[in-house]
Amino acid sequence: MIDNSKHASSFRDPSGYIFTEEGVIKRAIFPIYFKQYNALTSSGFFDSLFKNKLLVPHSEITKTEDKIVIQPDNIPFITYPYEWSFNMYKEAALLTLKLQKYSLEKGFSLKDATAFNVAFHEGKAIFIDTLSFDFYQENTPWRAYKQFITHFLGPLVLAHYHGAQSLKLMSNFIDGIPIKMLASMLPFKTKMNPFLYSNIHLLAKFEDKHNEDYKGESKATALSKKGQLNIIQSLYDYIKKLSLKEHSEWGNYYDKTNYSTDAFVEKSAIIDMWIENVQAKTLIDVGGNDGTFVRKINTDLKQALVCDIDNNAVDFNYKTIRENKETFITPFVLDVLNPSAAIGFQNKERDSFINRMKDFAPDVTLALAVIHHMSLSGNVTFEMSAQFFASFSKHLVIEFPKRNDSWVQRLLNSKVDFKDHFDWYSLENFEAAYTTYFEVIEKKPIANSERVMFLLKPKHVK
Amino acid sequence: MHLLYFDPGLGAMIIQAVVAAVAGVILFSKGLMYKIKTLLGFSKNQEEDIFDDIEIKDQDSETKL
Repeated sequence: MIDNSKHASSFRDPSGYIFTEEGVIKRAIFPIYFKQYNALTSSGFFDSLFKNKLLVPHSEITKTEDKIVIQPDNIPFITYPYEWSFNMYKEAALLTLKLQKYSLEKGFSLKDATAFNVAFHEGKAIFIDTLSFDFYQENTPWRAYKQFITHFLGPLVLAHYHGAQSLKLMSNFIDGIPIKMLASMLPFKTKMNPFLYSNIHLLAKFEDKHNEDYKGESKATALSKKGQLNIIQSLYDYIKKLSLKEHSEWGNYYDKTNYSTDAFVEKSAIIDMWIENVQAKTLIDVGGNDGTFVRKINTDLKQALVCDIDNNAVDFNYKTIRENKETFITPFVLDVLNPSAAIGFQNKERDSFINRMKDFAPDVTLALAVIHHMSLSGNVTFEMSAQFFASFSKHLVIEFPKRNDSWVQRLLNSKVDFKDHFDWYSLENFEAAYTTYFEVIEKKPIANSERVMFLLKPKHVK
Repeated sequence: MHLLYFDPGLGAMIIQAVVAAVAGVILFSKGLMYKIKTLLGFSKNQEEDIFDDIEIKDQDSETKL
């Protein structure tokens, strides 16, 4: 099927657009951007960024007088800013600043600084908007400065003061947190900090003052390159040091669970064996915490997505990836009861989690110790969760904690009077509902625990 | 030539001169403090950091993996 369609998110920049041809992502460049493109190519600017793995590499497919087509390397799964953990967000911000500094040194400048220009690939942040670089004009301020503040500095400072969950705000503000709102949400003491005062509070004031200048009477002032480099460097220094106030206690999560060492080892052995049996190359671990079980898989995986509702767990996973220089895991934050929606113009600019999953089509979905949360905390019936998993999985490895499991008991007890409503939570009902959508390939109880592992295959998959 | 396809914010364009001045002062004083601390012999141990500094190496230099 030839699908020569322009990507729905690619309409803001007149320099070119992204399209899909036979399932491959390509980028068309218009003559208006030829000069920049040629300069970036011939000066070795692109090559240098490719070699440092900071910009997604591309190859030129065709070059005519009215259109150049390039093909960027495929990134199997795009995550969005509202799905990043705190340190992932930080890295994306630092990457953008790094690129702007390097650009300035080479006579270029980033013409935009949206957080959606960054993706995570092979264990690190990578810039994906090849056409964002323009020529630097001597003594002009950075056009994308405000965008950088509303897309990066703002969300990060909010996360610092109000917790990592503030990063989710980006799902409502596709063009960054409104600067006035951002300033109003920060504690008063931030006005005493010269860095935050000038970059956020004063910026909000100036924007407010000048936003009714419809005649364009006020003139942008000149700014030397040195001045701009100072802004970039001070943003970099500040963001690099920024941390969360909340404690991340995820490191010892598995010490707190009710697994005996034997059961833990057996569980990971079962997973490992099944992954090998189905010869999986790609997988998603839904509710994968810090990626512990994915790391215990011995099969070589090409791409493993590990998502969790807890920003701290994802962050812990991300730090581990950085420390071990792992390239096959992409972590992200996801609430399975409220997965990322499709947003932007016509609800098409940023794709929903479900659609991205359908495209990614993982060989295996892991759902370990997650069904009781979905069923008991989320009131999602077995029928509904079975339907959900069947919609994108080629195989499903699911762990079912029985009614007597201590976690299940804890969740049930927290329901108090409502507890009787959950009489349906039993192994029999689980199997009845899931076998409507899946065939059972294997079933294995974990010894010395109240948990049962299933390897399932959706019935519609041949 | 700039491709003006989003509003950079007029206020944001004007204010950058002020922001740059503040940044200059911050960077200068930090640099000064660092020099003083080094001279007096209590420079901080290098913390373990998962992120590099802002410099990007040119293509002819070795590539990081």
